[in-house]
Amino acid sequence: MTREDSSKVTRRSTRFSSSLTNDNPEPNPSHPPTVADLTSGQESITLDALLSSFPGRRSQILDLIRLIGPLDSPALPVMVYGDASTGKTSVALQVFKHLNRPFVYSSCRTCCTPRLFFESILNQLLLHSKCSSNGYASAKRCDKPSDFVNLLKEALSGVVETLGSAKLERKLMGKMVYLIVDHVDLIKEWDKGAMILQFLFGLYSVLKMPQLGIILISGLPPDVYYSNMGYTDPIPVYFPEYSEEELRQIFLKSQVNKKLYSAFLDVALRPFCRVTRRVEELSTSLSSLFRKYCEPLDDLSISPNEDLKRRLYSNLRPHITSCLNEVFRVSGRPRDGDTRGERRQKASYSSEKGEELEVLDFHMSTSAKYLLIAAFLASRNPATLDASMFDSTGGMDNRKRKRKASEKSMEKKEMAEQEAVMKGPGSFPLERLLAIFQCIASVGDSSLGEEEDEEGEEEATGYDKESNNMMSDILLQVASLCDANFMIKSGSCPLEGSIRYRSMVSEDLSLKVARSLSFPLSKYLYRR
Amino acid sequence: MKSFSRQILTMGNENPAEKALNLIRGRLCDPTFVFRPLSASSDSNYSKLKFIVSTSVTEGCNNSILLLGPRGSGKAAVLDLVVGDLMEEYPDSVTLISLNGLLHSEDNCAFKEIARQLCMEHHLLFSKMASFDENSQFIIAMLRECGLAHKTIIFVLDEFDMFAQASYSRGKQRLLYSLLDAMQSVTSQAVVVGISSRLDADQLLEKRVRSRFSHRKILFLPPSREEIDSLLEHLLSLPADSSFPSGYVSQFNEKIKNITSDTRFKDMLKTFLNANSTVNSLLKFIFRAVSSMNLESGLLSLENFKTALSSMQRQPKLEAVRADCSILELYLLVCMRRLEVKEQSSYNFISVMKEYKTIHDSFQTSDFYAQNVCLRAFEHLREREVICYAENRGQSQAGEYRSMKLLISASELHQGMRSHACCPAILLKLLDH
Repeated sequence: MTREDSSKVTRRSTRFSSSLTNDNPEPNPSHPPTVADLTSGQESITLDALLSSFPGRRSQILDLIRLIGPLDSPALPVMVYGDASTGKTSVALQVFKHLNRPFVYSSCRTCCTPRLFFESILNQLLLHSKCSSNGYASAKRCDKPSDFVNLLKEALSGVVETLGSAKLERKLMGKMVYLIVDHVDLIKEWDKGAMILQFLFGLYSVLKMPQLGIILISGLPPDVYYSNMGYTDPIPVYFPEYSEEELRQIFLKSQVNKKLYSAFLDVALRPFCRVTRRVEELSTSLSSLFRKYCEPLDDLSISPNEDLKRRLYSNLRPHITSCLNEVFRVSGRPRDGDTRGERRQKASYSSEKGEELEVLDFHMSTSAKYLLIAAFLASRNPATLDASMFDSTGGMDNRKRKRKASEKSMEKKEMAEQEAVMKGPGSFPLERLLAIFQCIASVGDSSLGEEEDEEGEEEATGYDKESNNMMSDILLQVASLCDANFMIKSGSCPLEGSIRYRSMVSEDLSLKVARSLSFPLSKYLYRR
Repeated sequence: MKSFSRQILTMGNENPAEKALNLIRGRLCDPTFVFRPLSASSDSNYSKLKFIVSTSVTEGCNNSILLLGPRGSGKAAVLDLVVGDLMEEYPDSVTLISLNGLLHSEDNCAFKEIARQLCMEHHLLFSKMASFDENSQFIIAMLRECGLAHKTIIFVLDEFDMFAQASYSRGKQRLLYSLLDAMQSVTSQAVVVGISSRLDADQLLEKRVRSRFSHRKILFLPPSREEIDSLLEHLLSLPADSSFPSGYVSQFNEKIKNITSDTRFKDMLKTFLNANSTVNSLLKFIFRAVSSMNLESGLLSLENFKTALSSMQRQPKLEAVRADCSILELYLLVCMRRLEVKEQSSYNFISVMKEYKTIHDSFQTSDFYAQNVCLRAFEHLREREVICYAENRGQSQAGEYRSMKLLISASELHQGMRSHACCPAILLKLLDH
């Protein structure tokens, strides 16, 4: 739709679009992009600055620089691999900033289809930027590897010619262009991913252009790419996880008060390193713990002496264990608000020693909570026991006749338990779920009075009224529970033809939900 | 290291060490340079191939041949040498059309590419909108024309097995059939050269294609010891021309001779060749060694080759355990191993957690963490592909209940834990019982 057309056609415009004034300043480039833009652009950094900004990565950086080689030196493809957040992408980009060579970067996480991937590389090489004047379209349409090879050859020869002929201002950029492909391991999950991977690894020999250097960055080691078509392996550069000492240096780098933080790291880093050594996970937990550490201090810029260190440590110690069990969790609560919530949480910490008794930290309507519990019970209890569980006395009489357990029956019990663990939660048809739901919802009727001022939903008040009208709402609730992955559809039984569901909720979560409703869940749970 | 960066920023290649490095790296990345000495003898693959192709050029007959050998043994390189030589000897009578099975296994794609390359060769305009039939008629017409004008077209089909196996054509092998059929029926002069790393590539052909295919095969075997020695010398010796200071050249070549005659180097080379015997892997090994050359002295040393060898002999799973695993992850791996030893044929996350709890109860370890922390550590292990789901079908089960299996062998796990920086002693004890 060109701009002239849109002004002629009178369309019904919504209130929103007519309220937008159309004077967004177009980023008009003062100069068209040139080949020099393929480098990082700014001042290049020295080798010492590069090495000091990545503590613990000295040998990898030097390795990478040596493999890329001096100016204009042909290179074989290189693969940089290592775990997440080990610094692969940032090191690669900073190395190119230091060497000041033209490069093209494309990540397989943002370019999630082959077409996006090929076009992003070609756009960068053809110095084409998407803007409104060309309708945000790429320079060339390319979704097959065969087209990509031909277009790449053209684009590369164009760039190399410009690099060779033009008089570039101050810096020497050489005549080679480097291609950096990030997150290569994600290609495995693409449609026809194996073919694209094979193509990418063989790109260097297919192109036969020594002016292109290829650097692949992968989160997985090279042995996962072995395929039965044979594998042309690039030269590997390995980025191991940081050691404890290196983690110290990394965390200290950005701190203002280094002495205080290093005293904190002395006590806090080691226990956390036993769980995980990834920087992104450690930084969230350590930052919250550091806030607690600094609580008793009035002045955050002092350097502590031994006595102060000991006091701060003893203040911190009870929090370390609880924080360790929260390492991978990012708190949903806002950082500095809601101290009331935190105080309530602290009270519940102290009430149960060892166990964490948390409040449910998301909101659900009462009927949804009952459905959740009903699904959990339906998955955990065998169907034959339903009648005895949910009879009019409201709960199972757990006193069984104590029989002397023979060895064989103990063994059988163990095997049955193991099998149950392996099979996981069972599946149930919809009718059973609704039956259990009606049973336990009638139990919960008595406690509904206190719930009403917490909930604002209409469904909460409808229980003692006709439950027939609630059927459609309940079915909607079932569908929304399925969407939220609390239940899943697990395939239909071939005899009956009805869809069976399976509960995906863990016991902890269902206990929390039951506690919020004051529902005695343990009475209804069948224990072998 | 400071002088290293100074040398990089120097304008122009005034440093002879850098020039030498660039020269050798350029040689290693250029396949035709590498394979020329290997093709010198008269019974080499090069001569055989050259004989076949040049006969069909001079005598005007059709031919087809397969080049087979493991990946990286130089099949495409030798073919390039042959074609390059022929183009020099018979200019204007040889046209080269190259296709690749990875890119052009679809018939439309293949025909379009052939038509495009023919157009480029003969300076005709190629239209991207041409249909499949138009392309195939054009190709057959060109074959006839070139045959009448006594020009040979050489079709190079790289990854030949992919043309034979293309799933899109459902086993029809249309491209192969039409090419070989045209060669037989039309007055054409064409050679079809297939390159494949599958030694049974000709068994994949359909009956009608196989009958039109001459069963000529050239096998590319790993080079012998003498060939490798001469190759090393050919690659690493600097030429005695004026662009290098003469004292430097003789010093460099002398050092190379010392290194290659050293028994330690010979042992290293033997260990390396026992694992990968293709020429390409040898080139990567030398590339790695040469890249770590000390630019101040400008000479290679045995140390460079040692570091290159250790970096090529990687054990990724072992490294994943030794360098990447945290202590909690090691606990989980040990629990899984113990469950395997107890002959529990299948286990999932919940059973691993039970084992973890029993270990904690009996040994009172200090590392007992909550279930969600362990689940996340489990996910880290799965992302790194040290463990994986045992079957793929269990999409309807929660992740904690799907059965898992270890992707790392017991001995690797042992070795990794022993060389781990801070593995607790109790874990090693647990692994042994």
